[in-house]
Amino acid sequence: MKVVALYKWARDPEAATVRAGGVVDWGNAKMVAGDDDHAVIEVAKTLAEGGELVGLTLGDGDAAWAVARGVDVAYSVADAPYLADEATTAAIMAAAVKHIGGVDVVVIGDAEQQHPAVPGLLAGLLGWPALSAVGSASADGAKVTVERKVVGNIQTVSAGTPVVLGVAAAGEEAKPPGMMQMLQARKKPVTTLSLADLGVAADQGVTSAGTALPELEGAKMLEGSPAEVAAALVAALRSDGVL
Amino acid sequence: MDFDVIVVGAGIAGCVTAYRLAKAGHSVVVVERGAEVGAKNLSGGVLYCRVMDKVFPGFADQAPVERRITRNYLGFLNPDSLVGIDYHDDRLGKPVNAVSVLRAKLDPWLAEQAEAAGAVVMPGFKVDSLLSEGGKFTGIKAGDDELTAHVVVLADGINSFLARDAGLRTKEPLKHLAVGVKSVIGLPRQTIEDRFGLAGDQGAAYAIVGDCTAGAGGGGFLYTNQESISIGVVVRLDDLVGKGLSSSELHDRFVLHPQIQPLLAGGELLEYGCHLVAEGGKAMVHDLARPGLVVVGDAAGLTLNTGLTVRGMDLAAASGIAAADAIDDALQDGNFGQAAMDGYVARLDQSFAGKDMATYAKAPAFLENPRLFNDYGPLLANVLRGFYNLDGAPREHIIPVFRAALKESGLGITRLARDGLAGVKAL
Ligand SMILES: Cc1cc2nc3c(=O)[nH]c(=O)nc-3n(C[C@H](O)[C@H](O)[C@H](O)COP(=O)(O)OP(=O)(O)OC[C@H]3O[C@@H](n4cnc5c(N)ncnc54)[C@H](O)[C@@H]3O)c2cc1C
Repeated sequence: MKVVALYKWARDPEAATVRAGGVVDWGNAKMVAGDDDHAVIEVAKTLAEGGELVGLTLGDGDAAWAVARGVDVAYSVADAPYLADEATTAAIMAAAVKHIGGVDVVVIGDAEQQHPAVPGLLAGLLGWPALSAVGSASADGAKVTVERKVVGNIQTVSAGTPVVLGVAAAGEEAKPPGMMQMLQARKKPVTTLSLADLGVAADQGVTSAGTALPELEGAKMLEGSPAEVAAALVAALRSDGVL
Repeated sequence: MDFDVIVVGAGIAGCVTAYRLAKAGHSVVVVERGAEVGAKNLSGGVLYCRVMDKVFPGFADQAPVERRITRNYLGFLNPDSLVGIDYHDDRLGKPVNAVSVLRAKLDPWLAEQAEAAGAVVMPGFKVDSLLSEGGKFTGIKAGDDELTAHVVVLADGINSFLARDAGLRTKEPLKHLAVGVKSVIGLPRQTIEDRFGLAGDQGAAYAIVGDCTAGAGGGGFLYTNQESISIGVVVRLDDLVGKGLSSSELHDRFVLHPQIQPLLAGGELLEYGCHLVAEGGKAMVHDLARPGLVVVGDAAGLTLNTGLTVRGMDLAAASGIAAADAIDDALQDGNFGQAAMDGYVARLDQSFAGKDMATYAKAPAFLENPRLFNDYGPLLANVLRGFYNLDGAPREHIIPVFRAALKESGLGITRLARDGLAGVKAL
């Protein structure tokens, strides 16, 4: 199978600061690996066995990250900006997948908090079926069988290709690549695509009117002996409805 | 051999060394612990940048620098007064002599220059130990992986565990170390220029002693960036421990001081961090070379705190230049023994960095003088008050005013003279 693994297509929300007035300041933040991305590569690698594993990243995402984890061919849409608009992000990805051509499966992180709609939109734009919350997958001829977590249960589903799989990682990456693997990965060429090559525009369909931080109450300092502080803490937690 | 040279640490010292060696055509890898270059590196923020012009001609025009420092302010801060010397001189900007910088921007730029020159920069890997064979250092170990080179450059900052493991230095005594706590406060560009009397890309640098550290050895700094202010304190560790003070509380005390706070009013906290500073001066510089190994920058103890300026970035760059040039020679001769590596030390001693370390050798001892942080601020304020507080009583001549203030301070004329002389000698 020819499998595309999408990785490093968003920035780390922890790198952002919300400035007064609601402007989000990204500083020098780059496209980073999402929490699910290592699992994306794992799933894609299993499916691509005997076939071809293609890595695809956006913006300044570092391709060596995926190459060191086993990607055979690396593509990057280098001039894709980081967008709040999930539909445009998905459209850029869909155009790149079509450009790569002959793809059976696209695997992408389920990044729930940040961009929950992107995997579904991507499938929609490609006109392919989509399965989300995938934990693991295996290939069986032209079919893929996935295990996914649905309301606490493990469900096994088979689907024909082409298909988009949204992967949710079960935990941290067990063994990140070492320095040598990373050094070798750096030497592999990356094919750079531009938005113009793909014939897509990065116009946002949405305008951000600003982001507000949640209202924070000032911190309270409890003073006194340890026993008094503990009692005051319990009382405060009770009155705030925490206990 | 995997590489000609391995550089550990992508701070200023490491990037400058790597850039020069790569530019000279050698194969270089820079291994950096941080997930991204520069993300966690911290300086107060004034870089005396003439040395950078040697490496990157026209540095201030091409690098991401904040402002060109044309105004230096030296202040004695008391609980309710501030006495300062304000030196504003447009000539300081032509040619540019000092710039304010933010490391989160500068370090990635330096690493990019090194990469463009052909070096491989590898963030996200911590070097755990050094490899050696027959008395010569031969490489590094990170996780399960080993990497070999003709020369290893330790540019891993003030804590340099690697230099300690290599037997080049021992644990520093507390009095050689200070801790710095710093905030970056965002303000509109125009507000900064109005408040500090600056135009265009001009910048101001404040060095302040006294109440900002509650009398502990050290001081406060305040540097203007384009759209933010870097402010913080640097306090000697032994004094912090001895006086039972907390560095973050001293930082807050300085930032909230009634004489300082108006400069920051309306600002937004953008960054907050702390880091160790080398304070030992020349006494802290140790063995810097072994066969196949040199130590540069903070790892080599190259920091100068003269009370007026904290300098480390320019010395880091100068040591990087000296190391790269010596290693270039060694690679051409194919000789990496002690004598070849000592070529670095000789070059460093000959550079302004080595000479300045020698010139200011007495500065740390002078700065240990508690009177500097406790007594001179109030003395100056009282003398000036004697002049300006026209309370209706007839004015006295300067000598009696001074004598009265001196008496109140409990300092005595001989002690004053001795401190003055020590200051002149140290600086
Ligand atoms: C509060 C404060 C204010 C200061 N103000 C000024 C100032 O105004 N002007 C000035 O010139 N200097 C100032 N200094 C000093 C200046 O910051 C340092 O001298 C300078 O950063 C030294 O540069 P360096 O490259 O040697 O080390 P660093 O900048 O510390 O870089 C060391 C690098 O090595 C990496 N590293 C460490 N260990 C490992 C490892 N085992 N494996 C891989 N990588 C590793 C680190 O992540 C880091 O990137 C100040 C310092 C402080 C703390």
